Order: sequence, then C-alpha cells, then structure tokens
Amino acid sequence: MTQQFAMVIDSARCIDCKACVVSCKVANNVPAGFSRNWIKADGPVVKAGKGPFGHFQPGACMHCESPTCVEACPTGATWKDRETGIVEIDPALCIGCGNCIPACPYGARFRNPQKRIADKCNYCPERRAAGLPPACVDTCPTKARVFGDILNPETEAARLLTRNSGHVTQLIHEKSNTAPHMYYVGGTAPAGWMHEAKAPASMRALTGVVAPGVKGLVALSGLGVLVMLGRQLLDSRKSGDGGHDRPHASGSNASGSSASGSNTSGTQHSAPADTEDSRE
Amino acid sequence: MSDIRQPRLTRRGFFKAAGLAAAAGAGAPVLGSLTPAVRSAKAADPGFTSHYSACDMCFNKCGVIARVQEGVVTKLDPNPKFLKSRGMLCARGNAGIAQLYDSDRLKYPLLRTGKRGEGRWKRIPWDEALDMAAERMQEVRSKYTPCGMLFTAGADLQSQFVSRFAEVFGSYNITSHESLCLLSNNRAYLDTFGETPYADVLNSRYIIMAGANRFEALVTPDSMDMMTALRSGCKLVVLDPRHTKTAALASEWHPIRPGTDMAFMLAVAHVIIAEKLYDEEWIREKTYGLEQLAGHVRPYTPQWAEQECGIPAQDIARMARELAAAAPAAMVYPGRRTSDYSNSTQIRRSFAIVNALLGNWDKPGGLLAARAVGLKGVPYDAPWYDENPFERVDAGIVPGLFEHDGSFVLTREAVLSAEPYPLKGWFVYKTNPMVNAPDRARTIEMCNAMDFMVVVDIAMSDTACMADLVLPAPGYLERQDPASGLQGSSACACVVQRDPVVPALYESRPVFEIVKELAGRLDLAEYFDFTIEEYRAKQLADLPDAPQALERDGVYYNPSKVYGIYEDRIYKTFSHKIELYNQRYESMGLDPMPVYTPPAAAPQGRFRLIIGRNACVTHGSTNNNALIHELVPENTLWIHPQSATPLGIRDGDMVEVSSPAGKGTIKAEVTERIRPDCVYMLTGFGTISDGLSRIKGVGASIAALLEGHYDSVSGNAAMHETFVSVSGRAS
Repeated sequence: MTQQFAMVIDSARCIDCKACVVSCKVANNVPAGFSRNWIKADGPVVKAGKGPFGHFQPGACMHCESPTCVEACPTGATWKDRETGIVEIDPALCIGCGNCIPACPYGARFRNPQKRIADKCNYCPERRAAGLPPACVDTCPTKARVFGDILNPETEAARLLTRNSGHVTQLIHEKSNTAPHMYYVGGTAPAGWMHEAKAPASMRALTGVVAPGVKGLVALSGLGVLVMLGRQLLDSRKSGDGGHDRPHASGSNASGSSASGSNTSGTQHSAPADTEDSRE
Repeated sequence: MSDIRQPRLTRRGFFKAAGLAAAAGAGAPVLGSLTPAVRSAKAADPGFTSHYSACDMCFNKCGVIARVQEGVVTKLDPNPKFLKSRGMLCARGNAGIAQLYDSDRLKYPLLRTGKRGEGRWKRIPWDEALDMAAERMQEVRSKYTPCGMLFTAGADLQSQFVSRFAEVFGSYNITSHESLCLLSNNRAYLDTFGETPYADVLNSRYIIMAGANRFEALVTPDSMDMMTALRSGCKLVVLDPRHTKTAALASEWHPIRPGTDMAFMLAVAHVIIAEKLYDEEWIREKTYGLEQLAGHVRPYTPQWAEQECGIPAQDIARMARELAAAAPAAMVYPGRRTSDYSNSTQIRRSFAIVNALLGNWDKPGGLLAARAVGLKGVPYDAPWYDENPFERVDAGIVPGLFEHDGSFVLTREAVLSAEPYPLKGWFVYKTNPMVNAPDRARTIEMCNAMDFMVVVDIAMSDTACMADLVLPAPGYLERQDPASGLQGSSACACVVQRDPVVPALYESRPVFEIVKELAGRLDLAEYFDFTIEEYRAKQLADLPDAPQALERDGVYYNPSKVYGIYEDRIYKTFSHKIELYNQRYESMGLDPMPVYTPPAAAPQGRFRLIIGRNACVTHGSTNNNALIHELVPENTLWIHPQSATPLGIRDGDMVEVSSPAGKGTIKAEVTERIRPDCVYMLTGFGTISDGLSRIKGVGASIAALLEGHYDSVSGNAAMHETFVSVSGRAS
C-alpha cells in the first residue's frame, strides 16, 4: 500500500532545546558544523505583559511531493520513493555535484564532507527498521514532532492532521511550491526564510531535456562508464554553486542565514488534497 | 494565502492541489521502476543491543536506553517507560555519547609536577596514586585531626560513598554542590511546610514563575509538564529580568526589577488576605499565624510593590486574584537554583507563604509532599575520633546551615582564615567549584592553602587542574551504581540504578573503588566490605518486585499515594502546622515573616550581573562536550541597547567585564531581552584548564566575576549580588 511518511509538527510546543538536533547528529553521524534538522526562532517580541512573545519552529527535509532537489539531480541519486513518499539519496549514485543544495528552498541539504555526497534527513531508515521512531521524534522533550504515514488514518500523524483540519500550515516559497510534506498544526513562525529553488541554467536544460534519459541510464546500469559520462557532463557545466553547503546552522539566529531567495515567501494554509479527487 | 481545507490525503490529490503533477512525474516513473530491492528492505535484526541506564548529564537522572554495536555505544535514546522524564532525552542527554568518547577524557592517574594549576603532570600507576593519596590524607589527619580533610562531592549516585568514606575517615567537613544551588529554597520550604515540595505543574491551572526558567533550565518532569499544562489552558506568568525562552512562551511576562520578588509576593499575599480570597477553613485548620501575617502584609500594597518591582499595581492585584481563583490548582513555582541574594531564604519564604495561602499543599495542581519510594538506607557506625573539633568548620555563622551539605562559600573562608581550625586536605569528586562557585580567585587561594588536594573526575576540569593528584573516573555508562530513589512530581516515585553499558575506558576507576582502596590502606576496610551488588540488595530489601522491574523496564515504580499524604500526618514544623509565622525564627532572632529590604542600587555606571541556564548547559560540565560545543561555542554578555549605546558597544564587540572579584573578556550580545540595569552571561566558560581543549579561555567566567556573597540564613551562595562594569575593548 502506498504510504506518505511525513512529519506533523505542533511548533507551539517547541521550547528550542535542540534535543532533536543532537539526537539526529548522533543517529546519522552528521559531521561537525552540519545538521540535518533545525529549530528556527521567530521574534521574540520583547514587551512586558501578555504573551506568548516568541515561537520556535522545528524543521528538516520536507520530503516534498514535487521535490526540486530531485529535478536538480543529474544522476538520479536523489529520488522520491513513491512507495513511502520519502525523498532518498542513493549514496552509490550521488557524485557530490552539489546541484541539489540550492535547489532545495528549505536549505535542508548539505554536502557531507566525509562521505563527499549530498546529505539530508531520511527519516532514520535504520531506526524505523528496528521499530523505533526517527531520532528527532523519539527524543523530543515536548513531543512537538510527530512522525508517521499520513495516508494511514490510524497513525498519530494522520489523526493530528485530521484533528487540526483547516489549521494546517505548510511552509512554501511563493516561487517554489514543492508541496512539502511537513505540516505545522495550528500555525507556525517564522515564515519567509525559504528561498527560491535554484538550479543552474545548464542543469535546468539538462534535467528538463536530457535528464530523464541520463538518469534512467545511470540508474539502470550502475556502470562506471556511464557514471563517468554523467560526471564529465556535470563537471564541465557546473557553476560555482553549492559551495556554501552549511545549512541553517542549528541556532536561533539561523533564520537569517538563508539570504539567497526573495523575502516574499511565506506560510501557506494549505489544503494538501482535494476531497473529490481523493476518492479516485 | 490559499484556501483552508483539510481533506484526506492522497498522492494524486497532492499533485492536483499543487498543480505540479507533470513536473513531479517527469523523472519519477523511470526511477520508480528501478528501485533497488535494498531500498525497501526491512532489517529484522536491528544490529544493536539495548541497555537501560539513567542519564547523568545533569542531575535529573532521566531514563536512557543505550544502543550498543560491537561494544561501542552508538546512540542514546529516551526510555519511553520512564515517566519522570516523560520519555524524552534532551540535547545534553543525547550528547552523553560525546562525553563517553571524548578525546579530552582523563585516561590515567596524573601527579602534578609543576606549580599548582600550571598544568604539568606525570602519569603514574594506580597503586602508586592510591598509596600516595592514603599517605597524604593520613598526614593531614595526624597533623590537623581527621576534620582537617575536606570532602566535596557533586550530585552523583556514587557520592554517598564519598560521604561514607569521609565520615569513617573522621571528617565532618563534607560539602555538596547544593550550597551553590538550591539550599535557600529548601530552607524556606522546610521552615514553612516542614519539607521541600515537588510542584504538580501538570495539573496546575495558574503558575507564577519567578526566579526560574523551566524551558531552559530543564527539570523533569516539570519542564515537559509545563508545556502540557500550557497547551491545556494553564496560565504561566513569568517574572524575570531576562526575556528567557520560558518568558517567550509564557502567557505573561514581567521584567521584574531584580531582587524585588519578595515585594511582589508580599503584595500578592496582601491582596489575597485583604480580599479574603483564601479558603478560611483550610487556613484555620492547617496553618499557623494568619493573623500575624495579615498585620505584616497590610502595608505591602500593590501600589507600594509597583514602586519596588516595577510591575504595575493593577497587574499585581489582578494576578493575585487570578491565582487565588485557580487555587488550589495554582502555585507560585518553588524554583530550584536559588543561590541569588543574601536574603534568598526570606525571599523564598514569601513564595512559600503565598502557596500556603492558596491552600495548594498536598493537592492536585499544587505542591506535593515527598512520596514513599521504599529504598532502605545502608547504615554504618562511623568510628569516634577523640581529637576532632566539635563542629563543622563552617558551623555557627548562619542559623540555618544544612549539616550534610554545609556552605561552600563559608567553608572556603574558613580554609583561608584557618579559623576555627585548619583544613589542609581536599578530596573532590565530580564537582567543579572553580567554575560554579563565586569568586574564583578565592577558590584558587583555597586550593593553594591545601597541603594535599586530590580530584576524581572524568575530565581535567578547572578544579582538577588545581589538584596535586588527579584520578580518572568512568562516566555513567561505564559503571555500576547503587539504586537511587527519585520522585517525578505527580508522575511517579521510582527507583533507578545503573549497570555498565560498556566496560570502563582507559584506566578509569569508579570513585567507589577508589574510596574502597583508600579505606583498605587506612585501616577502614570494614566499612567498605561489600560490592555494589550487595549494597543494592540491601537497598532493595523491602521492594521484592524491584529487581525484576528494573531488568524489564529500566525503572521500578512504587505505587505510593500522590495526594492527601498529609491527611493524617502532622507537619514537621514547630507548630505542627504550615507556618505563615515562624516561631522558631523569632526565637533565633530572625524575621518570623519575610521583611522586605530593597536590593542595593547599582553604583553609577555598573550593572547587576545575573546568571542563568540554557537547555544545553549543565553548570560547567557540558560546555566542552563536542556535540554541545557546536551548539553553544561560547557565552556572550547580554546587554540592553540603552546601556550599550552610551558605552559605544555594538552587538558582537569584545568587551571587558570587571567586578571587585575579577574580570573577563566576552562578546557583547546587544539585546532588548534584558533589563537595562542588568547584564547576563551563561555559566561554564572562561575556563583555565588545558584539559578542556574546546573552551579554554573562551568567553568569560561567572566564577571569576561574582563576589562571594551568601544567604544569611542558609549559607547558600548569593550570586546576584555583584555589580560589574563593562567597557568596550579594542581587539
């Protein structure tokens, strides 16, 4: 049965303690200076009297329905698993070109300097296989992060979505609606920190026209020759982008770090699907 | 931005909604059909083993499950069955792994070869180290009596063995970390209710939190329960000169003038009494001294309090009414670290008195008494030493000293003056007064006054680097520990213990083995003629189900009564009631009810230095942890723009902070999140030890700046009584 694993977050519960950040780093051997997840801070408004005055917002890869990182990947290493809904990185295919990094409007990706490939949240597959929740979810002191298959109404994640029907927010950049599968129930802040998904012009051409073929071939064969071909193609066309691969450093000041995109982005109170369509 | 609908989700629906079906579909079918089998494979064997433990990255002892692969701890996870910590593990708990495998760990015994504190050491074998320690301690004992040795141990499950050793060795001079933390609060509640309460945050409807920061200074389960309570409608009012994360999430925040909490509380008491907002029958039955209190608080009106604390009078009155309306499921949160003012016991007495007026004792949403856990003590008869003086070295200075905790500040003064008698030896286990105690220069002098100083710890802390001999201890994941009873507010009364998850690394040895070896060398072997296993068996003698539960769940719960414990019990106070008016204080010449004295005004151009916590930092013990260091690499000096601008200080400038006690260089963080009359910095930086490779000399040390004030009742350190000057520094 088709699943869509997702994170449903009650960000009003977040106390910005960074437990999720450390837990993820340990679970996934994330090298120093990098992080697969983050907590962003809104405000605070410092004013005596009635609050609340601030809001904290946990985040990570949003495993988008239309992931721009997948589009930007020249080798098919980044792909969306249609069985689980998880955006995966195949380490055997990733050539570490870095194109996917600016292609993510959320800054969820970075180049792992040890593995020399792209890195991001993958919902802790080893833990799930062992029957454990993703590391950030398991450890969260206030249980702000809830993980599960939102297509299965029996899961807590799906129930939370249903219960908050009409009050679910997705963070979407105006120019890059990737239909993220990260849902903030009851509203969230800050908004406007996302940037427009960027792929180098050469890559847009490549992924738009050549890519399906190249991806198919590379993925199909796994032959060194073809991988090399792909790599040469990329090396010769690659722009200098992807060098600043540190994502939002864990920290409340991180919200200002994604300076590249426009500031017109915002939260979107979304209807992730249409009722009638869902009956099909 | 777009319409708000929440139908059932399907993939097709998403494509339609997002209008991106084509784009998403472009590369997908090809890849979808090529999904390697391994991608969807489910591993049956997780590849790790799981072991229960109790976290030791702070004092909370949260339930932990250690995942071990081929003898290596690869991950620490929360124990979901552990109710006290609500099945969570904080950033520090997760970073426990970086403490275990830290390259900065002490690996073998080290003997000082250079000048004290210089950082020059020689590796020596354990036998030589233990022989030397026993010999030097014996020298101190014969020259200065057994009380010439001072023993200081942190809050650790094995610290009881250090106390046991100290007592059989013959010294009364044992100090814990507590006199740098919570003793004034304990004193105040003991002298009001007869015991130190737990706060039933979970079930409370209205909480006034003053001098506490529960979303950053994590206490389990209070911090987690605070959020749950907030989400179910509890009101949280935070009084804090800083806009902490707790303040940011609170229902209401008031930047109270520091040192004036008592004024606020007395005015709250004034309103509750004047407007008869209390349960008259309960107050009559359970408390002593309402009449005296009513007279006492009559002049302390909200209007008067506004002048002192800066909170509008109508807000004070409103909060008093709201608090009383929610009572008894309402509270003034008792707090924990109360080492702030020289009248902290009386300040906290005013908190306790308001709680008493709310009638919230022993009731849901109020303050809870200690529950039965059921662990047995393992008693011993310490030998008598004729040559000993009569009392602790810090006795007789403050009236409310805790006999078993002492006062670190007063003990240090006694060492430096050699009065009433000399203390010339110091055994320190896993605590770090060089970082946590005020006035580091005095602590350095104290170390210099010692004939012999030995420190047992996991890393070369600033205190360890002052020692003659440093002995490496294993961390909590490497040792067997005795059972420990914990209460988690209304969540549970439970027992935890630790067994080694991995063998002790390097040459480290637990302090239990160290004191046992020393006892053997000092003819005291009979007091340590047991293993931890045997010790635990004695502790658990009355709890036959406990060993099995501990094995199965990592925790044993005692199903003891939560509320109504005092229904048929008398209060352990002089009047056998809750004491609004304390007769014992009166007989001791203390104020029987808290009398307000305004805090000292800041001298011209100076700021009150206030200290506090961050969810990643436990005093000085986690700052050098590689994972935590990444999150909190240094401390900063919070200073309000109104104060910074005239001094020419901009955000990010390096500034010099100085006080009569010392100085430090630190980065300025210009922020409106602090009152203009205060500055703030985090504990644990500005360290001096070479053994802390990540943080040596980084930021400034609170210990270097704070003066050695103390609470006049309990002897607890008073760490908000120091004024500092701040100047821009060219660099």
